[in-house]
Amino acid sequence: MIDAETIRQRFRERGFIADAAFATALQIALALEKPLLIEGPAGVGKTESAKVLADVLGTRLIRLQCYEGLDAMAALYEWNYPRQMLHARLSESDGSSVAEREAQIFSEPFLLKRPLLDAITQEQSPVLLVDEVDRADEAFEAFLLEVLAEWQVTIPELGTIRARHKPHVIVTSNRTRELSDALRRRCLFLWLPYPTLGQEIDILHARVPGLSDRLAEQIARFMHVVRGLALHKAPGVAESLDWAMALMNLHRDRLDAEVVEQTLGCILKVHEDAAVLRAHRDAIDPIVGGAPAGSAPGGYALDNDFGAGSVSAKRG
Amino acid sequence: MYPFRTLPENLIAFSQFLRQRYAFRIGPSETHDAARALGIVDVSDERMVRDALRPILSGTAREAAAFDRAFSEFFFAGPPGVPQSNLPRPRAAVDRNADGADKAVQQHVKSGAGDAEPDERHDAAPGPVAPVEVGDASTTAPPLVLRSSYSPFDADASESPELTAVDREWREAARSFVRRLYLGLTRRWRPSARGRRFDLRRTLRASLQTGGEALAPRWRRRPRRTPRVVLLVDGSRSMSDHARAALHLGVAIATATLRVEVFIFSTALRRVTDDVRRAAAGERRRLERLQQAWAGGTTIGACLADFRRRFGDRLIGRDTIVVIASDGLDVGAPDLLREAMHGLSRRSAGILWLNPLLETDGYEPTARGMRAARPFIGTFASVTSPASLARLRVNLKSAI
Repeated sequence: MIDAETIRQRFRERGFIADAAFATALQIALALEKPLLIEGPAGVGKTESAKVLADVLGTRLIRLQCYEGLDAMAALYEWNYPRQMLHARLSESDGSSVAEREAQIFSEPFLLKRPLLDAITQEQSPVLLVDEVDRADEAFEAFLLEVLAEWQVTIPELGTIRARHKPHVIVTSNRTRELSDALRRRCLFLWLPYPTLGQEIDILHARVPGLSDRLAEQIARFMHVVRGLALHKAPGVAESLDWAMALMNLHRDRLDAEVVEQTLGCILKVHEDAAVLRAHRDAIDPIVGGAPAGSAPGGYALDNDFGAGSVSAKRG
Repeated sequence: MYPFRTLPENLIAFSQFLRQRYAFRIGPSETHDAARALGIVDVSDERMVRDALRPILSGTAREAAAFDRAFSEFFFAGPPGVPQSNLPRPRAAVDRNADGADKAVQQHVKSGAGDAEPDERHDAAPGPVAPVEVGDASTTAPPLVLRSSYSPFDADASESPELTAVDREWREAARSFVRRLYLGLTRRWRPSARGRRFDLRRTLRASLQTGGEALAPRWRRRPRRTPRVVLLVDGSRSMSDHARAALHLGVAIATATLRVEVFIFSTALRRVTDDVRRAAAGERRRLERLQQAWAGGTTIGACLADFRRRFGDRLIGRDTIVVIASDGLDVGAPDLLREAMHGLSRRSAGILWLNPLLETDGYEPTARGMRAARPFIGTFASVTSPASLARLRVNLKSAI
């Protein structure tokens, strides 16, 4: 059995900074063989955690992306009708009996496995990621419950297929709708919040190699403040990483008001949010190095064009 | 420090404590899982025990957030001298000499199965409640502490509205209203006798009955989207009579569809969906503890913004029709209202504003709040009778 400390360490080796609560929840979920329902704001690494878990356990990741209109057929299995028809036509004249032909048509090669069936027919317990379950409708949720409880699927033509190895299940939700109590009760629950300041600095270092300490800290502090504002769409860790990458590509080693303005698209995805941010300059200016770039002596932004051409600079 | 000597007893008492004090939804199976989990982790490490129990015993973000406080409260009771009698006793007469965690928990599972009745949990108030059982006075049990709060406003219940069941006329009008909220079709294809898409799978299956000849084609079609109605009722003093009518409308709609949420606001926002649903089921209910949200001035913008922040993600989607019942007399900043209305209209299927003043001859929606909100309102109307509800046409964003 894998313990929480090992999980943390292996996750860290793969660039995923997990806190103790997260690692313990995973350990318990693995030990009790129960699905783990992870909720949290967008972009905090819910999906990523399942990918890393599969990597840590050295097993396959099978992903069921939920969407509106997802039905049992698309999640479970489907017969390959065109192939069955073709086979039936081609084997009409080869002298085999009807029973033989039927057995051929309804056999494994004509079965299209969808993620759930795929997950229970693996030789080794895979990690089954049911992503954004809140996007599927209630009917699908009920169906999912049945599969999660029984781990068996009945195909009328083939019989009942039972899981030889129970998959490790991670269910994620973005809370766009309230999940049913029944689903919650089947799962262990983990709330994955935004990382703390220290954690975010760790994450930035782990995921963006070569990032300077100062920039990492500035980004983390900036994000910390920004998430506290009343924004339409608060930036997640994914946005921090994008932003750090962008700043690295622009060869910046520190934040200033101007570069923040230029790269705002990395972190704020709604137009109105930019106005909110500008309204709270007093909270942000101390982080981005005091005075706005315009009044900085020497106008250091000018010689940082790097041939990009589109970088505009104002001299105070 | 702990109320009981053995681990399983403490665990059971803790589960009961969470259920009663914090309205956690914990059944016997969760307690059992918790016992198993404690067998896995290092029990001497307090933080690890917290981390292990939290995912098992909590089911929602709210519960997960409350868990740590509850854990400290139970296992590390406050300053010395505070009696612990508010800890619930396990109802089962648990054998103190039970040798294994599982045994005791199993016993509890049997005897305590009644605790998991949904009705009982439904009744549990989320706030602190007085202890239900008192230790024997003769033993060393600490004295009973009853926690209660006194609010001078509570005495005056005349202001809070009473919800009553609605008559048939209202029910029918509401049903017709909900039916006419057409939002287009879902993305999901369902089997159906008539439809737009040929269903090869079911046709082939049906052909087994006719010796492999596909005689009867089967079809699939996309069913209609089910609308969700969010009713926000202005409970300020200027609205007091009309708000009762609006709540009555909410009860009527609740009889027609399950997908309805009702809120009251004035200077604060309160969710009253449960009360409205119960009223729809025929119960008489007086809305309690509404003073803050009932009969004061209105800050519509702030309340709508609060609604968006707290419930927007879950309740506002493109199937949602937002119904606001208000006279638009706002004491807050119009900018805030404009901003909130913009956000609501962008993500919902449409906004229906019910303004009782429309009944008044010569009324023009020129109040500051009304002017700010006007551009985002799809339908501006007044509903006072079943007939007017049945007549109401709601403009919705063009269905896909």
